[in-house]
Amino acid sequence: MRRFTAQMTLAALVAAAALLTGCGQEGEDRGAAAARGEYKFLEWRDEGGVDLITFEDKEVIRLTKEQLGTLFGKGKAPFAGKRIAVSVLNSGPKGGISGPLYRLRPAWEELTGAKLDIVESPIAELLNKTITDLRLGGGQFDGFIQAAWFMGEYVTPEFIVPIDDYIKDKRFPQWDPAWMPPALQALYTWEGKWYGTLNDSDGQVLYWRNDILADPEWRKRFKADTGKDMPFPVKTWQDVIEIAKYFHGKNWDAGDAEPDTGIVMHFRVNEQGMFHFMSLSAPFVVLGGDKVDRGTNNYWFDPETMEPLINQPGHVRALEVLYELSQYGPKAQSAWDLGTAWDWFLRGKSIFVFSWGDVGALAQDETRSRIKGKLGAAILPGSYEVYDMNKRDWLTLKEPNVVGNTVGGSWHGVISAKSRNPELVYSLYALMATEPVSRWNANRGWTGVDPGASIHFLPPDGTANLGGYIDAGWDERDLRAYLKAYHDNFFAKTMMPYLRINGTEEYWRALDQNLSEVMIGRLKPQEALDRTAREWEAITDRRGRGDQLRQYQRSIGYRK
Amino acid sequence: MHREGRIKLLFILPAVAWVLCFTVFPLVYGVRLSLYNVKVGAADEFVGLANYRHFLEDARAWASLAVTLVFVGCGVAAQLVLGLALAVLFTRAMPLRGVMRTLLTAPLFATPIAVGFLFVTVFYEEGGLVNGLLGLKVPWLSHPTWAVVSVIIVDVWQWTPFCFLIFLAALGGIPEDCYEAARLETKSGWALFRHVTLPMLQPTVVLVLLLRITEAFKVFDIPFTLTTGGPGTATQVLTMYAYRTGMRFFNFGYASAISVVVFLMVTGIILVLFRRIRQVYQ
Repeated sequence: MRRFTAQMTLAALVAAAALLTGCGQEGEDRGAAAARGEYKFLEWRDEGGVDLITFEDKEVIRLTKEQLGTLFGKGKAPFAGKRIAVSVLNSGPKGGISGPLYRLRPAWEELTGAKLDIVESPIAELLNKTITDLRLGGGQFDGFIQAAWFMGEYVTPEFIVPIDDYIKDKRFPQWDPAWMPPALQALYTWEGKWYGTLNDSDGQVLYWRNDILADPEWRKRFKADTGKDMPFPVKTWQDVIEIAKYFHGKNWDAGDAEPDTGIVMHFRVNEQGMFHFMSLSAPFVVLGGDKVDRGTNNYWFDPETMEPLINQPGHVRALEVLYELSQYGPKAQSAWDLGTAWDWFLRGKSIFVFSWGDVGALAQDETRSRIKGKLGAAILPGSYEVYDMNKRDWLTLKEPNVVGNTVGGSWHGVISAKSRNPELVYSLYALMATEPVSRWNANRGWTGVDPGASIHFLPPDGTANLGGYIDAGWDERDLRAYLKAYHDNFFAKTMMPYLRINGTEEYWRALDQNLSEVMIGRLKPQEALDRTAREWEAITDRRGRGDQLRQYQRSIGYRK
Repeated sequence: MHREGRIKLLFILPAVAWVLCFTVFPLVYGVRLSLYNVKVGAADEFVGLANYRHFLEDARAWASLAVTLVFVGCGVAAQLVLGLALAVLFTRAMPLRGVMRTLLTAPLFATPIAVGFLFVTVFYEEGGLVNGLLGLKVPWLSHPTWAVVSVIIVDVWQWTPFCFLIFLAALGGIPEDCYEAARLETKSGWALFRHVTLPMLQPTVVLVLLLRITEAFKVFDIPFTLTTGGPGTATQVLTMYAYRTGMRFFNFGYASAISVVVFLMVTGIILVLFRRIRQVYQ
């Protein structure tokens, strides 16, 4: 027994030692390799440009002298001895959003002479950790890689600083806000001032298994079994339901012996399930036009009274559709997070998924995807019926109402007003936003940086080149469908308004919990949205109706 | 006060300071916060008992309280019964008893957060460990009732060893004479257990009950990682609700009120159990 205990103790000590050395491994590798001259992170070129060499991958990102800015050059280290800390989502050195920081950190440190501390937090902790620090005046962070819905929390108490002057400054790495479509610009700015630098572009599009839906044999079988043509390409959510229903429970993918599903979604509560509802419901609710009022280019609240609109008939109809659609997905999806749902689709288990740009890019990674070269993508479907919240009546249209969306985080860097080195922080963000670095990120799915700016799209929509994507492992047909879907989405005639006011997190969590109750059958759609509306009223009252209303009006561009 | 007395006071001063700083001050501050509407970036507004009134009207708070009571009731009862059964089993001679005993206590040393994440994979419904082994399709995490069962199972898995260890020690302390005297009356193992072991263990049972109930009321990590409180709000315990209210939505006043309510409930239970312990010893 004593020998056994000794062995256990030894094993525990070895495990603990391995854990401790593992924690510092990356930093030591990086530092030691650089010191030995085996691994350079910068290669200066004769004309003054520079090759950034990424950490671990050792890939080269080439910047011209103009793109780099005048502050940096061979032998210069303008911020030597300084140190900054940036908070970011905890996806690790090879994960989405945080990964690019780790890849670029050594090169940036060599350029500036400064040090960067990357402070990771889970999505649930990110906002409260930084806000608590700001409120208590700790000033632990110099910058935050934030989700767009954090903006109201940061801007209104002036916790972050505008960057318009920096953008114009030729000393810093150069990027152009005009690369971004207006829908995304709106997320990176507040009342006309820029706070964020180009990074991620989030929006949901519809993906499907093109090898199945475009297969004449399957179309023939669909007609034989249902008596009608397969409604493909899909135009409305009803078309998606019909197809998902037909394929659900059939083993249409030969990957395993188990039956497959029609669609897959993620409804794990307190995570990101509510985004499914937002993007799906937009065409039932949002009417385009030149103005902004209760029923036009609006979704969340009455801009006159701050009355929640979430339980209006359009929203309720959309939730009924979402619930019906969910019946053709795996039952376990009520408890699935985003990654698990993506994995299901990538393993070839589902006909449809509607999600962010990561899916298209991850589908190209054959170590985790069985569907490379089999992908279809398009802007989310529309609805022939839209509820007009002005007339309080349904409108029936000749063509489906199709609405683009920017749901998600569109994660981007902002600078803390407490930072003593705002220029240094901006230099990091600006370097990430330069054309070559941003494109490098967008080409690679694991970075979490999804395409949305003109520099990410192929001509004639943008200035990217096919080679960059192909070299990163993309299938050309998949890529073209994917980029077209995203271009159509971000440049749609009608866009779903984004909620960025104070308390957005709280409003969305209330919605999310009630949606989850619908998905497990404990509430009907109308009950769930009525309850959400009541909870939103309480949140608005507690936070101050006047303040909330003013912020909402500004955020959607409402004028009397 | 003479010199020796002052030196004694000096020695207990660090402990007093510690308790004042880290127990009394947070408690008082928490009670104060519960009487305010706290707004980030603005002055706190005194609202009296409004946060407590809100608790009484808040359906989500009551639902969370119900989940907590189910969790505490079922979880602690199962831990007590299993812990006692295992302890009685381990008083008997058996092969590899030492190794088994060590293995049984292992879950106790695991971090609850890690345990929660571990069981996400164990309970994965599409071919996870449990469903894969049993050849079943139990909706462990996606069905409201099963999700509660899952959280309780994980808590029982982690904390039964605690009960087991204490009961094992207590069983070792029961004098053999008691059993020998009882065996003159009966040979039945069950009768011996009921009339000798159980009465002798009563103070220990109450103590374990007290410790486990106090801890179970504060449970957070396991449901937070395993189910994130869902599906819906099926596994949202009161501490998780307070945490979300305060730390995610910055409603510190109401979150403090919820915490004070939990504190009062646990204090009430402790008082009742302490009274019971006193009765047992008297």
